[in-house]
Amino acid sequence: MSEFDRREFLKIIGVGAGGAAASACSDPVEKLIPWVIQPEEITPGLPVIYASTCQECTTGCGLHVRTREARPIKLEGNPEHPVNRGALCARGQASIGRTYHPDRYRSPVERGADGSISALTWEEATAKVASAIKAAGSKVAVLGGQTGPTLSALIDSWLDAVGGGTRVVYEPFAREALREASTAVFGVASEPIFDLTDTDYVIDFGGDMLGTGASPVEHSRQLMGARDARRERGRAARLVYVGPRLDETASASDEWLAPKPGTEGLLALGIARVAYDAVRASGRTPAGDVDAIESVLKPFGPDSVASRTGVPAEAIRRIGSAMAAADRPVALPPGVALTSRRATATNAAVLLLDAVVGAVGRAVTIPPPSEGPVASFRDVAKLIDAMRSGDVSVLLVHDTNPIYSLPPDSGFAEALEKVGLVVSFASMPDETSERAGLVLPDHTTLETWGDASPRPGVRSLVQPTIRPIFDTQSLGDSLLAIARALGQERAAGLPSGSFRAVIESAWSDTDFRAALKRGGEFSETGASLAPGVSPGIARLEFKEPTFEGDGSFVLLPVPSPLLTDGRGANLPWLQETPDPITKIAWQSWAEVSETAAAELGVTPGDVLSIETPYGEAKVPVWPRGGIRDDVVALAIGQGHQVGRYASAAQEGAEGRVRGASVISLLPSLTDESGGRAWLAAKARVTATGSFQRLPFTQGTDNKRGRLLGESISLVALAKGESPWAPNQGAFMAAAPHGEEHGGNGDASDDHGGGHEGPHEIRRAFDPSDDSEDGDPFRWGMTIDVDKCTGCSACVVACTVENNIPMVGEEGVLRNRQMSWLRIERFVGDGYQQLQTGRPGPQNHEALGDTDVRNSPMLCQQCGAAPCEPVCPVFATYHTPSGLNGMIYNRCIGTRYCSNNCPYKVRRFNWFDYQITGWPEPMPLMLNPDVTVRGQGVMEKCTFCVQRMQAARQDAKSAGRDVPEDGAIQTACQQTCPSGAIVFGNLKDEKSRVNTVAEENAGRAYRALHVLNTRPAIQYLAKVKREEGHGTGHAAAGPVRPEKSA
Amino acid sequence: MRSIHLTRSLPAFLSALAAAGLLAWAILGESASHADVGSTLVAGSVCEAHELKALAAEDPHVSVEIPKEFDKSFPTREACLSHAAAEDPDSPGPLQPIQFSHKHHAGTYEIDCQYCHSGTDVSPAAGVPSVELCMGCHNQFPKEYDQLEGIRTLKEHWEAKEPIQWEQIHRLPEHVQFQHRAHVRAGFDCQRCHGAVETMDKVYLTEDTIWWPWGLPSKKLEMGWCIDCHRENGASQDCYACHY
Repeated sequence: MSEFDRREFLKIIGVGAGGAAASACSDPVEKLIPWVIQPEEITPGLPVIYASTCQECTTGCGLHVRTREARPIKLEGNPEHPVNRGALCARGQASIGRTYHPDRYRSPVERGADGSISALTWEEATAKVASAIKAAGSKVAVLGGQTGPTLSALIDSWLDAVGGGTRVVYEPFAREALREASTAVFGVASEPIFDLTDTDYVIDFGGDMLGTGASPVEHSRQLMGARDARRERGRAARLVYVGPRLDETASASDEWLAPKPGTEGLLALGIARVAYDAVRASGRTPAGDVDAIESVLKPFGPDSVASRTGVPAEAIRRIGSAMAAADRPVALPPGVALTSRRATATNAAVLLLDAVVGAVGRAVTIPPPSEGPVASFRDVAKLIDAMRSGDVSVLLVHDTNPIYSLPPDSGFAEALEKVGLVVSFASMPDETSERAGLVLPDHTTLETWGDASPRPGVRSLVQPTIRPIFDTQSLGDSLLAIARALGQERAAGLPSGSFRAVIESAWSDTDFRAALKRGGEFSETGASLAPGVSPGIARLEFKEPTFEGDGSFVLLPVPSPLLTDGRGANLPWLQETPDPITKIAWQSWAEVSETAAAELGVTPGDVLSIETPYGEAKVPVWPRGGIRDDVVALAIGQGHQVGRYASAAQEGAEGRVRGASVISLLPSLTDESGGRAWLAAKARVTATGSFQRLPFTQGTDNKRGRLLGESISLVALAKGESPWAPNQGAFMAAAPHGEEHGGNGDASDDHGGGHEGPHEIRRAFDPSDDSEDGDPFRWGMTIDVDKCTGCSACVVACTVENNIPMVGEEGVLRNRQMSWLRIERFVGDGYQQLQTGRPGPQNHEALGDTDVRNSPMLCQQCGAAPCEPVCPVFATYHTPSGLNGMIYNRCIGTRYCSNNCPYKVRRFNWFDYQITGWPEPMPLMLNPDVTVRGQGVMEKCTFCVQRMQAARQDAKSAGRDVPEDGAIQTACQQTCPSGAIVFGNLKDEKSRVNTVAEENAGRAYRALHVLNTRPAIQYLAKVKREEGHGTGHAAAGPVRPEKSA
Repeated sequence: MRSIHLTRSLPAFLSALAAAGLLAWAILGESASHADVGSTLVAGSVCEAHELKALAAEDPHVSVEIPKEFDKSFPTREACLSHAAAEDPDSPGPLQPIQFSHKHHAGTYEIDCQYCHSGTDVSPAAGVPSVELCMGCHNQFPKEYDQLEGIRTLKEHWEAKEPIQWEQIHRLPEHVQFQHRAHVRAGFDCQRCHGAVETMDKVYLTEDTIWWPWGLPSKKLEMGWCIDCHRENGASQDCYACHY
């Protein structure tokens, strides 16, 4: 024992402890599992891209589904698809989550009379449905949303085969009024297509074409392309918006008129009358029945229209003449929010305006009537009657949620009780499927075959990109199986084989494999007609619509840019992405004007009671200046009781409704076409005295004069006057010619040292100096604030690409949202104001003022980054290619970097979202190329470094030294419908990121430039296109709400 | 305690011990491990049969007996040795579901690494061969091969269409994004990082000791080891190249 001394003891303890530590630190053993049969086209580690079609709404944009190891991880637009040309909206980006949603039905289920759920096999479920149908005879009904042509045809033949029945197509946002209007005006029962390419004058009569309209991705691209401020004054497209509320399109417009709700059609006629007179005066005649046109327009002189709508006559005259004189004018019809009881007449008025200015056949094309059933609200009412009287024994519901989306007044919920068996094909639980006796869950879009034909000339395919994750079956296959279960003679009339075979045979007139690869068959233009105005227009009555209820506020139900008609409510990315206008997430809010709020005595968050004759809702208020005083606006989409994210289950309150559903306040009324009237009720609004904190991510639109979302007038731009030149380089005086400027390397000639003429490109610093001399790259961006509509597609794309977790309502209330990219929305230049204490949310909009700037804010990858020097462990540093690199495994979470960042773009993982953020099977959608961050680690935009790495390796494999310009597209850039974001190498003079900025040098600035952070991002200011009348037009002026008698 | 006076009688005691040992050795013979004390060694299994045959080839004086049921060519001697080495608890590397021997495939038969690991030069990930790839050869071999447990297991997986769940040896942490193709393209041979795989019966992380300038050892696949090679070869030492 004497041999064992102190030294021995320490050695043994040291080794022992080290050994223990070493074994404790080793990673748990992981399995390496290859394929049994490896598909030829898949190389593990490399993505495989399939073309498909988005089915999140009826627009039918083409998809490129990026898969890794046979699972989709990211959706992008299909560049060849004529509708979206490579871009994809926020809803499409989020739709990948449907396939991996934890709520999904795992198998067919049966709901017992006591409410208990039991799983079934497909054989059992099919047999049960078949026996019910056999007993029902012809008392079978199918109620569903709009599907692609092949599936639609199959449903029809299926109904015939199983013994007859009713089929009703129901879409909450169907454009029935437009179709009926086209019938009246042109004699063709179809939906006109509006093409804004190369337009120079657009009036959108409340359609919100850039946000929630018929084809927002396409229209954004077309308008922004037409409007590019590069073009000379007079040729750039001018957008006039007509509507009671400052929505996305109004924010992007040059002039905003706010007539009395429901009188938009009269305004269109007033403008049409002025335009018609001008057109006739110039010797042209609109095509069609001139007498009918004149008889319709006769009573609508500018002065009479002015008094009926509240829009000044001068504006009507001015706009009418401008439309008549424009090269390629176009007027777009109202959208859902303004579909009143006279919606057909309103739509017809707009179509008449198009006809008068000669847009029909050019910007407006009338396709031939489509084959197959169309959505019909009238048929829904008939179905409800049949259900109520017991004439429907089996009701099959697919691709729709009528319990939620139909007004309670329609009686659907009560009538459903009388149906013998309700079969739902929903893939995840919703209000309707929860009342179904049997659920035969459908595949999601990414697992199924299908097709879509949004308009003539465009046929696109849907193909599976992953094996079905759960025991689900596509709707087509389910129907075929049910028919076969009914017996040979029933199934004889239907195709044999699977639904895939049905699709293939429907496409047998094409080269199917080529079509699959391309995404479909796209011909240049489909067949279209250019009819003249038909005499049928004279039978329409053009007058103010009626409203039900005696309240003093018109209830405006607004389609949500993210949740649409409520179908997006269970996707957490759409709940957490803030509303583009109010920046509120996860909740409902009621918008009233500042004046109305003052009269009600409420401030933001105070709960209002909104009451119509059909229902009552308690909603926190969000006062704003950009809405008429006599309107209360509520977004459609919240108010769900079913769904992990759609309801309040996420906060632990299972079964509690999240927010309020405006649909519960609406009547079941129609317009002249039988289509659903959304703008049909007046509401009584009172303060309840209670308060609810609203989760918003931007509390004020006042930018206090800071160099952020900037705008410049077209006049100043043309003169070369740039208001920011003195701000640029305040600390970096440009070096005189030939002189070295300390530490910055060569002073190149275009530094403009000392000599500053008005048209020179004023660059106060050379961004190339911010990356290593030997490195070929300095990554940067050019972001065009003029093109950004605030749609937030980039935000959702970034979230999906970079494995960003959702924090929920509680997290957003504490401002802990994790998104790396946000759209900052400012109104005007803002002003300094004294702030004491904790100010509440503020709003600086005004009726008629369109000076709204949407500016994406992300990590600026500063050359002199304030976050770099303060990190105690060097976890964030400047990379050789000029980026600010964030190394997650080094970060210890002091958060000093975020403290120092002036742009506040750094996000901290307060909780272990690595564990809680993705409930099964969501981890399947994680991008394997991006580290999933754990607790205590900072993160921020990386300019999609994983895409850069992949592109650089691909280039090297192909023998090129560096990737070409455009080979690397960040996720945000790739998806932007307007093309507002350009990314590239600032060291490459010919790259687009430089050429776009140089062509628009007059409006280029850098965010908060005075701080001398040397950001890599240049912003291009929004352009104010005045016609000598100032920034907007306060058309309606303050309007007092009518006091009820 | 009575003393034995060992110190005085130690030499005598030791020599007596040695004599006893010599006698025992002469009586019992050299190899006392086999049954049947005597000159004939009998094999108890195919593997033992191989060993005894090899022994007999070396030393003609040794007599061996191979019962008929063990006189087979499969499993081969190599397979036996490989299996024994793999199951030896002292040998490095974990036990795999199939005792696949790189020594046999890559060493003896000199099959190219990239025949099976085909993604190494085109993909960020190296890839492990699919069951189909293994069956591509093993489907064509004579039925006797199936006596090898590993090949039987392989064929069972193929019939059942079950993938083989290998234990991963070369694993980088989740926060490292490694591009295999860049390294293969740079011309390094696989052995540089993976060791002499063609000599391994069981794959394991070979020890490597590269002494940093500060005199610290670093093992394979540790960051210091990676950085050292990057430094020597002029590759990127930018954090962002691998950590994002």
